[in-house]
Amino acid sequence: MMVIKSLANYTEKKWVRIMNNPEKQTKEDVILQLKHVNKHFPIHTFRSYGAVVHAMDDVSFQLNRGEILAIVGESGSGKTTTANVISRLYIQTAGEVLFEKEPLPEKMTKKEEIAYRKKAQMIFQDPFSSLNPTHTIASILSRPFVIHKLAKGKRAIREGIKDLLIQVGLEPPDQFIDKFPHELSGGQRQRVNIARTFSVNPELVLADEPTSMLDVSIRMSIMNIMLDLKEQKGMTYVYITHDLAGARYMAQNIAVMYAGMIMEIGSATQVINETYHPYTKLLKSAAPAPEMGLKRKKLITKGDIPSLVNPPSGCRFHPRCPYAQDICSKEIPQMKKVDEGHYARCVL
Amino acid sequence: MMDMEKNNVLQIKELKAGYEIKSGFVGAVDDVSFSLKKGEFLGIAGESGCGKSTLAYAIMNLLRDNGCIQSGTVQLNDVNIASLSEVEMKKIRWVDLSMVFQSAMNALNPVLKIGEQLTDAIFAHQDLSRTKAQARAKEVLELVDISSERYDAYPHQLSGGMKQRVMIAMALILQPDLVIMDEPTTALDVVVQRTIIEKIQELQRQFDFSVIFITHDLSLLVEISDKLAIMYAGKIIEFGNAHDVFTDPLHPYTEGLMASFPALTGPIKRMGGIEGKPPDLLNPPEGCRFAPRCQKAMDICRREYPKEYVKNDGHKVSCQLYREKMGENHE
Repeated sequence: MMVIKSLANYTEKKWVRIMNNPEKQTKEDVILQLKHVNKHFPIHTFRSYGAVVHAMDDVSFQLNRGEILAIVGESGSGKTTTANVISRLYIQTAGEVLFEKEPLPEKMTKKEEIAYRKKAQMIFQDPFSSLNPTHTIASILSRPFVIHKLAKGKRAIREGIKDLLIQVGLEPPDQFIDKFPHELSGGQRQRVNIARTFSVNPELVLADEPTSMLDVSIRMSIMNIMLDLKEQKGMTYVYITHDLAGARYMAQNIAVMYAGMIMEIGSATQVINETYHPYTKLLKSAAPAPEMGLKRKKLITKGDIPSLVNPPSGCRFHPRCPYAQDICSKEIPQMKKVDEGHYARCVL
Repeated sequence: MMDMEKNNVLQIKELKAGYEIKSGFVGAVDDVSFSLKKGEFLGIAGESGCGKSTLAYAIMNLLRDNGCIQSGTVQLNDVNIASLSEVEMKKIRWVDLSMVFQSAMNALNPVLKIGEQLTDAIFAHQDLSRTKAQARAKEVLELVDISSERYDAYPHQLSGGMKQRVMIAMALILQPDLVIMDEPTTALDVVVQRTIIEKIQELQRQFDFSVIFITHDLSLLVEISDKLAIMYAGKIIEFGNAHDVFTDPLHPYTEGLMASFPALTGPIKRMGGIEGKPPDLLNPPEGCRFAPRCQKAMDICRREYPKEYVKNDGHKVSCQLYREKMGENHE
């Protein structure tokens, strides 16, 4: 869908290779497509029976094989729900999710589900709670080998685990393989998580804020490992983050979500340099950017993230938008084409 | 009392603080010295476990249980806080220095109205009538952009950003000279974080108090601070004007930190971050504590801790690389 126009900026050769994988992009091989997907969660309390949380509304995008799409948004914007719907931890309330051009059925048999999970894997946000504290690293990483029948015999599995640990930079593997999660630092645990994800050689990896719980100094190494593995194995990422600069570092394409809806989607250059939607502009001006100098414009904003139980009528951003007009509160703006591959949900 | 330079609100000298545990003493703050002028905004940056929160608690004299100040002085105006008893400390705390805590979301009492919690701080220190205290509480709420009608609200009725602003209002209610902020915006979203920081800066200009702002987010600190201190494994390894530290980082660790956050503008470069992890403070490595992770480490680094070297403009660094290039700091 989206092709990077100018690569003049990318100095290092490796980067050029990562960012512009020509054979893969010319084919337009769509691996994942979401068509008007909604996800509503019912609330069952006495007072608000029948009310729903609009976690995801009218989310559509498509992703070519070998590309990285970053979904950026504040907490409660529905970005994690999107990942969970794609990974089938949640089933969407309406709309269609197409994987390799086949729509995912609402109900899957156990066999189909395992086959799908082998292709689409997730990296979770919290490295401290996503590893079972009573199991050793060897035991945790042996699960995918057993479930997906990737290797037979204890020795073969152990060798496979060691290979994985080397790939994610936990060297020498003998030092880590028999440890428990609490003996590892946050960064090392996240590497184990990544190793578990990549053990099945998935086609699609959904990374839900993989660096947000880590210290600044180790975030880059986790991001670099993900980029290196992607380059080696040529897989596709959906990278979820709240950090616009991190999204630009990782991804060719960026989707900006707000209150359950995609507000702007396009290539990283288009979204960041030719920002169209007022919400993206707000996010951009709020992000720390010391290289822009110490003088910066004051933020123009009011209000808070809206309640998703009773989302604002019309455009969900209009109560906070400095450019809001009458029409904004009346109807939900449709996705409109701004430029080739650059879409925004705004009447402006 | 030690002589104190004019205009200095806070002067810390050779402060050592940490925690006594079964297997020894964890020196979370080791030999830290710096001073802070009136109205100055000092940012302290470092990874988790580098001792930045312990430093904040030591300045507040709040280390409890197994935590203690081992040696050194913390001089606030004319008083050495480190030597005060709890009773004496209670008179100073919140009047002369106050703190905004890390988990501000949980720092408010959930069963008390925010107004009551604000006036509590007043009644503990001043003999004011209820109406006057109430008026003052409403005034500080308005200062942080919360309508005074919310005086009777309970914490759960407020959003995360508003709770954080109530905490800031509470820290300012007795007009202290120094406010310590320990990661006040870490749990918040970027947009909310930005509005709160703008608020803090505006209030600071208005009331001219000093701020110590602690965070791991160096990119944020560079924008908002006057002075910047970089902490690693209990020691301040670099100290200077924020602009100087950003444009010309001297210590290899600072350079590494600068290379740890991607930029929003300009060309995309592959960035490295810092390999390895911080040392165990129970048995810190001999010599420079960063040496095991440092790409530029020399033999001498592993043997002795570097002295503090100072550049002409007051930019200080503790690194052997500058042994011959710069003069020693004799303060």
